[in-house]
Amino acid sequence: MKQIEQLTDSVFYIMAALTTPRHGYAIMNLIEETTKGTVSIGPASMYTIIKKLLQQEFIYLYDDSDSRRKTYLLTEKGREVLTEDIERRKVMIQLAENGLKEEQS
Amino acid sequence: MKKIKYMMSGGLAFSEQQDMEKLRKKSLKGWHVKDFKFMGYGLEYGEKEDVIYSIDYRFLDENEREEYLDFFSAAGWRHVCSEADMHLFKAAPNTAPIYSDKDSKIEKHHRQGKVINGMALGLLAFTIALFFVSIFTTGTFQTVAKISFFGVFVFTVPAIMTAMAIYYQKWKIKLKDAK
Repeated sequence: MKQIEQLTDSVFYIMAALTTPRHGYAIMNLIEETTKGTVSIGPASMYTIIKKLLQQEFIYLYDDSDSRRKTYLLTEKGREVLTEDIERRKVMIQLAENGLKEEQS
Repeated sequence: MKKIKYMMSGGLAFSEQQDMEKLRKKSLKGWHVKDFKFMGYGLEYGEKEDVIYSIDYRFLDENEREEYLDFFSAAGWRHVCSEADMHLFKAAPNTAPIYSDKDSKIEKHHRQGKVINGMALGLLAFTIALFFVSIFTTGTFQTVAKISFFGVFVFTVPAIMTAMAIYYQKWKIKLKDAK
């Protein structure tokens, strides 16, 4: 499997959802609700991404007592990576916001 | 008695999308996939239904299976059948696709390619070895090597073609989203 170099939007959403322990179904629901249905992550993509995040130790298996609905949580490493990516995204947004503001004034 | 028939696959590496569309048309006529058969599908007659099909490739441990299938059913995809590392699902026509991003979609074809790549490479090495044996030997040894060469060659060509088709699929997805 390829290593995650930069977090894609899907990976970012899933990691953001795993700041608290959640299972796959809950992650899908949270993302769909917060984005009002504009973003939905397909089950095969979701499964692939979760496996990859586990392998890279960005998340860990939090509870597998229900084998159908295993829950996952961010690791310390995962938290760091997510925090870094938030900063990267902030720069992007700031650039765009400032640009639009200057245009208006 | 249940009515059952066979539908041949166009070869998943070559025509996955065509296969899925063919299966949809069959379902519209009342023929639904029940299981994977040798180089095709077993269809069973029932009520007409408009459903779309999707296939995924993944090796699953026994303790991963339930969770994997639950992801799909949560998203509205019903599990039809599995064979080795192939899993077929169906859903109502407007259901969101099972792959929503490019990276994981490429990895799908990567997983699909792994087995066939190893096989194609092994066969190729074997074919080349037999070719040289048939050149540098004489008599019975040569005859046996020659016959084996053609025997293996028959499998090597389709294996390489399949491996190439999968590479092509991966490359197509990469290119499509790069635009």
